[in-house]
Amino acid sequence: MAASRTALRRVLAELGAVWLAVIGLYAIASIISPPMLQLGQVFNILQVASFLGVIALGQFVVVLSGGIDLSQAGVVTLTNIVATSVMLGQDAMILPAVAICLGLALVIGALNGAMVAVLGITPLVATLGMNALLFGSALVFTGGAPRGAGAPALDAIGNGTLGGVPVATLIWLALAALLWALMRQTVFGRWLYSVGGNARAAHMMGVPVERVTITAYALSTLMAACGGLLLTAYVGNPSLGIGNQYLFTAVAAVVVGGAALSGGIGSVPATVGGAVFITVLGSFTNIVRVSTGAQFVIQGALILISVYAYRQFARRRP
Amino acid sequence: MTTTKGTNWSRRRLMGTGLAAMGGLLLPSGMLRAQEGVTLDAVGDMVSMAAKPGPYRIGFSNGFSGNSWRAMAIAALQAEATATPDIAEFIVVDGQGDINKQVNDIETLINQGVDAILVIANSGAAVAPILRDATAEGIVTAPFNLPVDGEDWSTYVGTDPVRKGGTLGKWLSDALGGSGKIVALGGLPGNSYTAAGWEGAQAQFAPGIEVLAFRDAHWEEDRAKVVMADLIAAYPQIDGVWCDGAQVGAGAMKALLAAGRPLVPVTGDDYNGLLKLFDSEKGNQPKFDIGLMSEPTWQGIFAMRAAVSLLKGEQVPKRQVLVPKMITRDNYATYLRPGLPDGVFTDTSLSDEELAKIFSA
Repeated sequence: MAASRTALRRVLAELGAVWLAVIGLYAIASIISPPMLQLGQVFNILQVASFLGVIALGQFVVVLSGGIDLSQAGVVTLTNIVATSVMLGQDAMILPAVAICLGLALVIGALNGAMVAVLGITPLVATLGMNALLFGSALVFTGGAPRGAGAPALDAIGNGTLGGVPVATLIWLALAALLWALMRQTVFGRWLYSVGGNARAAHMMGVPVERVTITAYALSTLMAACGGLLLTAYVGNPSLGIGNQYLFTAVAAVVVGGAALSGGIGSVPATVGGAVFITVLGSFTNIVRVSTGAQFVIQGALILISVYAYRQFARRRP
Repeated sequence: MTTTKGTNWSRRRLMGTGLAAMGGLLLPSGMLRAQEGVTLDAVGDMVSMAAKPGPYRIGFSNGFSGNSWRAMAIAALQAEATATPDIAEFIVVDGQGDINKQVNDIETLINQGVDAILVIANSGAAVAPILRDATAEGIVTAPFNLPVDGEDWSTYVGTDPVRKGGTLGKWLSDALGGSGKIVALGGLPGNSYTAAGWEGAQAQFAPGIEVLAFRDAHWEEDRAKVVMADLIAAYPQIDGVWCDGAQVGAGAMKALLAAGRPLVPVTGDDYNGLLKLFDSEKGNQPKFDIGLMSEPTWQGIFAMRAAVSLLKGEQVPKRQVLVPKMITRDNYATYLRPGLPDGVFTDTSLSDEELAKIFSA
């Protein structure tokens, strides 16, 4: 009995209270707006959540290390611009485009990490500066007029389904599973939690703090690039404004998932839940008849309430 | 937006070519330019000032340059400046979307001693004082595309979004035979351009038109697709879509396609992506139809011509309202640019080669 209760508690702790919030929100949304219950809409939400979800996975790693990555929006935009201009609508160019985008993301992330870990620049300042630099680069690269198009074969990934489930969602969940294994099954994962919990203590215990931090930022931009590629597959077109919406929603998804911005606390399944929560909220406010202003107010208020409720719940837990 | 006071409305009706002649500009004969067939309504009094000897140095304070519309607008102005012997130099400064930077930009242009300043304002209120100062110093100030508060500038050129939105609304209403359920998708939340257009549209809908929802879609294809996917789930029947930008229209149509729902009549502007989609899908989709009106990327040319006319001591209208031509299934083929990216605004005088250059990475 006691053992199973402990196990249940552990599962709940890992999943995070956010999943309770997701279920609660979905129930309320379905009562007010019954179409939310259609299976098609559930999959539609999962499809749209995939982009944010993948990006938030990367944000989660950095937040866990005690930092924040505000350059993800710029990475998404740059990925979209570079991928479409390399592919130019040809299937043969998919692999080169993906390789270039992931390579770029790795370099950007390593630079972010070096600025934070080696030069000691505040993460918020370093990554926001990088974000401006990336957006500027996209602008210079395109001259304001982006050309190119996604390859037709990508449509199967961006808009296709496998057994009814969107392919983008399956990719998201696969990436989440990989990251979860990295966090829970490897030395790197334990190092990351310890760096986020107390970097000085971790350093004294022999954890290579700089290397761990740089890797965390590289994982973040890598995930942002994956999200950018999925989004590109979804729309098939370049757009200089495509990444903007992820500047803060990625952080919001991680925080709603219960990760502490001070680092060291949080889990991958809860971050997945955070992305679902933010997307359900967006979808619900799109469907229900409210003005755009009210939409923003509802979204902001529900995010604040959920974070507060989560904190209360976490504090009460023995 | 542009004032449409009934009393001083449309005192004189000028054709674009007429204005070009007024500006003393000789076009290469036999060349058909997109802007030449356009209707320009003069609003308010004619204005003039003492002639200045040419050639002139013209500055352009662009509020920001982060999209293909602005890139094409600059290219059109540069082509016009090159083709105008009266213009010795054309200087472009970029406000980078920053209201304060744009005021500084205009100050810099004044200090450089330019003869005329063209402006697309980030904020019509913020640039009004500096344009007043410039005008007082004898510099011709010609805001265009987005209006500037007050009257302390020389001359203005732009479309009338209320009228444009109304024309599109009327087209959609007629395309649905006066009855049907529609959704509307706009631009950036709270922007006055979409608000004015939507106000004009609603006034034109037949009583049988039911508006299911109005949603902001940020003038982005991906945002429109996501919003539309939600609306599709909420409403089993959507007969038409009103948009003021066709990126949004294209995103909405792609959401319908992804959901396996039939395509419907849609409004928007001259975004190449929607024309391409219409061209490829019209055969399979009997209800698919387009009613489009551009926000012309070349409208700055008329501001430039008006500025040059003023500098030469000629009279120009205080305000000129552009009325772009309607693009429908009957004439879309002349606008369609199959070999060029979706982001091209096709109501343009730029050639495919010039466009390919603008849209090259």
